[in-house]
Formats: sequence, C-alpha cells, structure tokens
Amino acid sequence: MENLVEKLKSEIIEALNLAEMKPEQIDENAPLFVDGLGLDSIDALELIVLLEKKYGLKVANAEEGKKVLYSVNSMAEFITRNKKG
Amino acid sequence: MKVYINGINAISPQHTFKHEDWLKEPVGYRQVRYLKCIEPVYTEYIDPMAARRMSRIVKTGVCSAIKCLHDAAVEMPGAIITGTGLGCIEDTEKFLGSIFVNKEQLLNPTPFIQSTHNTVAAAIALKLKCKNYNSTYVHRGFSFEHALTDGLMLLHEEPADNILVGGLDELTDNSFIITDRLGLWKKTPVDSLKLLKYNNKGSLAGEGAAFFALSRERKENSYACMSLPAMFYKPRNISEVEHQLSAFLSRDEKTLNDIDLVILGLNGDAAGDKIYYQLIDQHFKNIPVAYFKHLCGEYDTSSAFAVFLAALVIKKQQIPEVACLNKSPENKIKHILIYNHLRNINHTFFLISAC
Repeated sequence: MENLVEKLKSEIIEALNLAEMKPEQIDENAPLFVDGLGLDSIDALELIVLLEKKYGLKVANAEEGKKVLYSVNSMAEFITRNKKG
Repeated sequence: MKVYINGINAISPQHTFKHEDWLKEPVGYRQVRYLKCIEPVYTEYIDPMAARRMSRIVKTGVCSAIKCLHDAAVEMPGAIITGTGLGCIEDTEKFLGSIFVNKEQLLNPTPFIQSTHNTVAAAIALKLKCKNYNSTYVHRGFSFEHALTDGLMLLHEEPADNILVGGLDELTDNSFIITDRLGLWKKTPVDSLKLLKYNNKGSLAGEGAAFFALSRERKENSYACMSLPAMFYKPRNISEVEHQLSAFLSRDEKTLNDIDLVILGLNGDAAGDKIYYQLIDQHFKNIPVAYFKHLCGEYDTSSAFAVFLAALVIKKQQIPEVACLNKSPENKIKHILIYNHLRNINHTFFLISAC
C-alpha cells in the first residue's frame, strides 16, 4: 500500500503536469480538490483516465468518484480493493 | 474614425517582449529553416497552477496580452479579440496523437479542451476575470485582420472601449514538417538577416504573438492611430493590387505622397516577392521601404508583427537599420503603409499614422 501511494503521487504529478511539485509535498490524507492540492473538475477527468489507463479500473458513477478521488489514500484503497488477480 | 493604439506587446523571435531594448539589439539566426519565439519567464505572469495546462501558444498569448494591457494602463478590456491561422496546434497534435495511440479510447481531456482556436482569448479572459465580448477569428492570412476589423467596428459602434486585439500562431515540429512537404520553406538553412539574398523558392517559417490595446481616446502615451485594414483575395495581376492600393489610400484621403515609410511582407520566396519588387519599382521608388519577415519568419498572422513594428517606429521615430530595405526615413514619420500577402492568397493593407 505504501509503495502504491508513492507511485500514485508520481503518476498524479505527471498526469496533471504539476511540474513544480515533488511527491513528498503531497499529503496522502489531504483532499485533492478545492483545499489541499486545489484541483478542479478537469483534473478529476484526468484522474479518472489515469485510473483506467494505468490500473484498468473504472469509476462507476459521480457519487463513487467523489469518494474515490477524495485523496491519494482513497485512490490507493480503491485500487487495492479492486485490482484484478 | 480614428482609433488609437495605446498599448502594444509582442512575443517573437526578437527581444520584443521588453520592446524598449529590441530596437537596439535585433537578433539574427544563422543557418536556420525556422524561427521560434524568445519566451519570457512565464511564472512572473501566470500562476503555476494555471500555467500547467497551457501549451506554449496559450502562455505566450496570455503573457503578451497582460503586458500589452499594462502598457496601456488598462485593467479590464472592453473586449478580447484574437486572430489565429492554426490556433493551438500543439494541443491539437497531442489530442490527435492520443486518439491514434490509444485506439480512440481513454483520451485525456486537457489537450482536447485546450486545442480549440479560441483557447487563448478564453485563457486571457479567465486570467483577468473578464466577462466582456470575447471572440476569435480563424481565416488563414486574414485572421488578425478580421480580429482587428471586429475591434475597430466595436469601437466605432461604441458598445465598448479599451479593446484588446491580438494575432498569434505557433510553429511545432509536426506543423513545420507538414508545411515543408507543401514546399512553403527553403530547402536549405539560411541566415535569417540575409533572407532576401537567397532569391529562390520558399520562405523562413516563423511564429509569434502580438497584442494591441485600442481605444477611441488618445492618451499621453498613445503609440499611433489606425484605420480599418483592407483585405483582398487572390488578385489576378499586379494591376489589381495597384487598384486596391489606390482605393485604400483614397478611402483614407491619402496619396502615396503622404506615405513616409512602407513596410512590406517580403519573405524571401522569389515568386511571392515579385509583387513587392514590382510595386517598389513602379510606386515606392522614392519612399523608404522596410521589411520584417527576416525578423519574425512567415506565419498566418505575421501582419500583427508588422503593425507592432509600425506602431513602435511611429512612437520612437526610429527604425532599426536591419529592417530597412533601401534608405532610412529622413523626415518625421507620420504615415506608414503596410502591405503584406500570405502566399499570394490573402493580401492586406494597413495604414498606421502618428497621432
């Protein structure tokens, strides 16, 4: 799980082009949107694409999306819970 | 009706972003086939969280627009109007590449959203929180001219003042390769400042963004004033160009005797430049002539660079020696005629005057 969180931080930085940011600057428990990283709705779409591209996982609906994309940790838990094999 | 140019800015292959210095230090490029912009430090003008989604043309457009408004001491423009031939081509290429690589699945939204031609005008509006009129014109070599025409009409009809008008295009590796296949560029590298000496097929590719703050009111720091540009499409022969020139000058109650400097769009392509040389021989022999595409390269909205140059020349009453084709103007420069054409298709006249 810890490795996954670190990997996810790097993938988020790359996907969202947060060039000025380093993985250790992202608090895995902090909200990704509005507060915390201050991401917006376009970033949410990018993160959904990231989950599908890198992990083959689809977010079923907007309600689930809100919970899954709350923080890096919630994304990692979603991946762990649903990963195949 | 006179419209005043109260602020200008350009990001180009020259040091135009801080335009005070540019007149003194023109940049020449050795053995090149294209010219790319000298870019400013974007973080000084754009918040990194906003900049991360912006492609190069969006960043150059936003920075140039902001600097132009600062120059005119305008905080909120009455309208934002841009003209672009190819728009945000880098993001378009990214999006199309992604469609191909991902077999039309899982497409990233950012390059798609940012690939539309009006992205730059929208990004400027978002940065300024400006909800006023916002429009973008995409008509190849008439793109900037239409943006300018719209701006001048808005000022004429008085629904808005302090209008921001810009022309911009970017060059990418792919767009260069594709347009090179069409035979638009010289096949061997050239020294940019000697562009006219090669006298063979093709030109030097370029790119740039130039913005203007326009108003009905003259201010202490106004650069120049201007009238509507004239556009004409694919003239059949030189007589038609001469007829258009005569009609344009008459419309503004001017003759060639009133013109103190002509700026021509000579781009080193022997076939296209023939028209300019014919006009020089027959009409501009006694008028100082300047040119500009060896400084910025050829692109759909390069005429915006010419207007930028003209506005600066009028205000400073000096022209960089490197831009002069024959002789430097000896008298006060009151009226500058710009004549430009893109591949002998889109032809344009501008008249920039002292105010």
